[in-house]
Amino acid sequence: MKKAGVSKGIRRREPVLDCLTALVMTLCVICSVTPFLYVFAMSFSSGAAITNSHVFLWPVGFNTEAYRTVLAYPHFFRAYGYTLLFAFGGTLISLVMTSLLAYPLSKTWLRGRKTVMRMVVFSMFFSGGMIPNYLLVSGLHLTGTVWAILIPFAVNQFYLIILINFFSALPSEIEEAATIDGLDYFGILLRIVLPLSKPALTTIGLYTFVFFWNNWFYPLIYLKSSQYPVMLLLRNIVNGSASASEGTARNAALSIAVKSAVILVSSLPVLLIYPFFQKSFVRGMTLGAVKG
Amino acid sequence: MKRTLSLLLTLALLFVICGAAHAEGGAPLKISIYYNDNPTYPFRDDWLALTYIEETYNVDLEIEPVPFSDYGTKVNNVLTSQGDDTPDVIFSQKTSGGIASLALNGAIYAISDNPDWTPNFNARVAEFGLEEELETCRMSDGRLYYMPAMYDIPVYDGGLILRQDYLEAKGFEAPGNFDDLYAILKAYKEDYPDSYPLTTIYDVGFLERMTMPSWGLSLGTYNSTSSQVLSWDYENRAYFAGAISRQYRDYITFLHRLYAEGLLDPEMTQDDASTTLKLATGASMAVYAFYDQIGGWEQASEIEGFRLALYPPLTGPSGAHHMPKARLMNGIIFPVKTTQREDFEQVVRKIDEILFSEDAYMVWSLGLEGKTYTMDGDQVVFSDDILNAPEGITKYMQNAYGCGCGGTQCVFRSALEMFKNKSDFAAVNTEVAAMDQAMQYVPAAPAFDDLTAEDTTLLQGALGDAYAVWNDAFIRGTRDIDADWDTYVQEMKDKGMDEYLALFNQFSRYQ
Amino acid sequence: MGRYWQLYAIMLVPVCYFLLFKYVPMLGNILAFRRFKPLTGPYGVSWAQPPLRYFQQFMGQEGFWQAFRNTLIISVENLAVNFPFPIIFAVLFNELTSVKARRFIQTVSYMPRFISTVVVISILSQMLSPSTGAVNRLLSQVLGLPRIYYLNEPAFFRPLYILTDMWQYTGWTAIIYLSAIAGIEKDLYEAAYMDGASRFQQIFYITIPSILPTIMVMLILNIGNLMSLGYEKVLLMQTPTNMAASDIIDTYVYRLSLGASTPQYSLGTAVGLFNGTIGLVLVTGANRIARRLTGSGIY
Repeated sequence: MKKAGVSKGIRRREPVLDCLTALVMTLCVICSVTPFLYVFAMSFSSGAAITNSHVFLWPVGFNTEAYRTVLAYPHFFRAYGYTLLFAFGGTLISLVMTSLLAYPLSKTWLRGRKTVMRMVVFSMFFSGGMIPNYLLVSGLHLTGTVWAILIPFAVNQFYLIILINFFSALPSEIEEAATIDGLDYFGILLRIVLPLSKPALTTIGLYTFVFFWNNWFYPLIYLKSSQYPVMLLLRNIVNGSASASEGTARNAALSIAVKSAVILVSSLPVLLIYPFFQKSFVRGMTLGAVKG
Repeated sequence: MKRTLSLLLTLALLFVICGAAHAEGGAPLKISIYYNDNPTYPFRDDWLALTYIEETYNVDLEIEPVPFSDYGTKVNNVLTSQGDDTPDVIFSQKTSGGIASLALNGAIYAISDNPDWTPNFNARVAEFGLEEELETCRMSDGRLYYMPAMYDIPVYDGGLILRQDYLEAKGFEAPGNFDDLYAILKAYKEDYPDSYPLTTIYDVGFLERMTMPSWGLSLGTYNSTSSQVLSWDYENRAYFAGAISRQYRDYITFLHRLYAEGLLDPEMTQDDASTTLKLATGASMAVYAFYDQIGGWEQASEIEGFRLALYPPLTGPSGAHHMPKARLMNGIIFPVKTTQREDFEQVVRKIDEILFSEDAYMVWSLGLEGKTYTMDGDQVVFSDDILNAPEGITKYMQNAYGCGCGGTQCVFRSALEMFKNKSDFAAVNTEVAAMDQAMQYVPAAPAFDDLTAEDTTLLQGALGDAYAVWNDAFIRGTRDIDADWDTYVQEMKDKGMDEYLALFNQFSRYQ
Repeated sequence: MGRYWQLYAIMLVPVCYFLLFKYVPMLGNILAFRRFKPLTGPYGVSWAQPPLRYFQQFMGQEGFWQAFRNTLIISVENLAVNFPFPIIFAVLFNELTSVKARRFIQTVSYMPRFISTVVVISILSQMLSPSTGAVNRLLSQVLGLPRIYYLNEPAFFRPLYILTDMWQYTGWTAIIYLSAIAGIEKDLYEAAYMDGASRFQQIFYITIPSILPTIMVMLILNIGNLMSLGYEKVLLMQTPTNMAASDIIDTYVYRLSLGASTPQYSLGTAVGLFNGTIGLVLVTGANRIARRLTGSGIY
């Protein structure tokens, strides 16, 4: 984020505005954090404390049984493995495909570019809808395979446009020099453009990563239950159609703590990487006004 | 960065490979199966019953446990697309509703085409005398598309469950009718004002399914006529518009009264764990549920003397009835894609053998003789770990050994099933068996043709949704039963109630 | 073409991919006019009789119109609350001078954006649980209110949808306005200060007018997306009981087709196509207005 819009030197003290600001900001912070704290507290509390409604923002009857239960659950690890596969694999495929399409499209003089661009933009406004997409994926024999998740979402039009804009903004002299040195377009893309575009690639890569990590709906309709990622497992645990451990009957009192533990463990990687890459994320927002 | 990335990727792949690892072998017949996974006994591929069957019958069962909330959807979609992910066999299905239309369009193999491939199934049907009932499972083209699971005698396996210790402490007799139940709930509410004496499991429809028959009704998602809004008139053997009937108005008035007086738990959609918590902590003392849950609930409670018991159906305006029970239930279907397997006949024969043969169903029901049980004359004696399991024999056997699981157990001999429960279960069942029609028959689904099936589906969607909304509003009192009743009836008629009823009666198998 | 063949070669695979995964499904919409039968391919077996059979079917369904109304009402209410809120947030945030506080608030308020809707709704359902949730406990113990199963109540569906959206996206959406504010000339504020303008006045006479173009563009964008609600979240929040308030067009389509026990692919496609067409009209209309206002289109 850029530095403060108002420099300190010329501020008047205005108690009303300052109080209002402090109030709203404090409220926002509290609201943002409370749900996480609540789940955190639940996950470390004893079943009895939760049942008797003693827990609020701090663990009561501290214990790690919920985490031990989750970590001892083989399906949880399998689901986690698929989540990792989708997040890393999907991001990799997406970056390759998006770069390959964005580079030629960044050449404004390329014949046919306009047609392709129009095609891209139109598909942002209008799409096939749920059923034609499902029938296509199943017609290609992708359902029940991990490719049903990895391939259909490989190019996001928003990120493509961000990347095209970024490529266009690179100084053309560098490419010209490289051409003189005898590099062809493949070489230029691979050795010059992509290395220079690390910031943009990081940004769209991170967004794609988060998309795949949080994705549950498409795995639900395309995959076998043995391939479900962790978010879908969580959804099934919360709606009561899957258990969070082996043999639920033994752990009924613990079930809320276990759900909380699953919530935290499944979000942990994203929550951990996000602060380190905050700048890259924000760049994406200001570059392309991306939401969701 | 690059190195960590590739490392992570390899790791992810390893995870997946390890997770999917299966014992590979050339000889055993490989069969992939869709299995309706029940969260109260989550599927495990090391269940004794399963591994024993695989070894003994030289078969490799690749079971895909599908969470029950998505089961119907998943089955429909694989049957419709018949893609590479279509399993060879689908468990726990029958050919009603949308599956009927799929069967008529050739998406499902017709079992009746090769009756000599299923000798064990045929033998059980003959043994239990189910020929007539099996006829009603045929589709309008006269063919049978599934092998239903079967009971020799329907078992009363669930119903009203109450805190027996409370009843005894307060000197209550076992309730005989719904006024008795009301009095018990009321007393509990007075003793514990913060409680909601009667709670639900899964959703309120579950409770309705088990209580409505005493009002002569069966409505909602899993009603006995698979129509959501129609009910079966047992006297005249015809459908009637149950959802807008006088009986329903009386029934919903009763339920609303329970709700309004704080006797019915307002959290009407909840999972097993939530219900467990409420019963175990005394926040509730009554529930309509299956008997096999009792053990787990008793185990979860720390209340001194906590004891639950199953009671026979209560008498209502139309007598004392539990939900209608068929002796034939959901069973086995083969997607038509499986017929492309060269060894298809072998697959059918193998499935018939491992589910319906005498030796195999004993394993699915009781486990291994000598390990989980021994025979003492005609008495089954379970091993000590099973007998002493705090959650009850049934639940423990399901979780620990994979015995008695819906889906894999397809033959139920009630005399054997009784051993799996404490003596009170047999006692209740004897009592229920002595009652007059406590469990009525399930009327056979109408034999719609393909186009009519499409029409009824459309009507059913609109009617079922509207009924669900109104039903809820009536219970909660957000709509007044007396003031808004006419509006409700009119709305249902506008949505095609009369037309829907006429179609069902026109295609009824009981002409 | 000359040596540019390489550029075409580079984009050959992605362009084919694009045609296959974006345009083939568009053609697949033809199913809305054809009768689907299982096992006979994705484009149906015969033309529907009459051709608009499936459109007539859903137009005659009260359930469809309920979903249509719900989609519009949720969208508009959501826009009315969650459009202005990030602007207010951004303007107030800009009044903060402590760099540490700014950084802390940013990190914390952006975080929910990266959480899966599954997690958001899971947390919500835990907090709102009538038996063990904190919200009901506080309200019943402190205010003596009855315990309510909020997630099941039709009346609470929209407020909860809007609040969770606010929780997830306020901080994040504010980034756009913050960067617009950062672009305002400092001289303007200095001049206003010299003229004796209070900071309130500076907000109303400098900050907001300066970011007005951004606000307008965002508003138009949002209006363009009116028909595309976050259906994944709705699906997670939906219970049979709150259906009257929570059923939107996308979930209606899902229940007709992939989520149905009796899939009606043709009918579902017809509803989806109808919805998509309205969306297309809205977006292109919005874009045209934006072009007129700002001189350049958004796309």
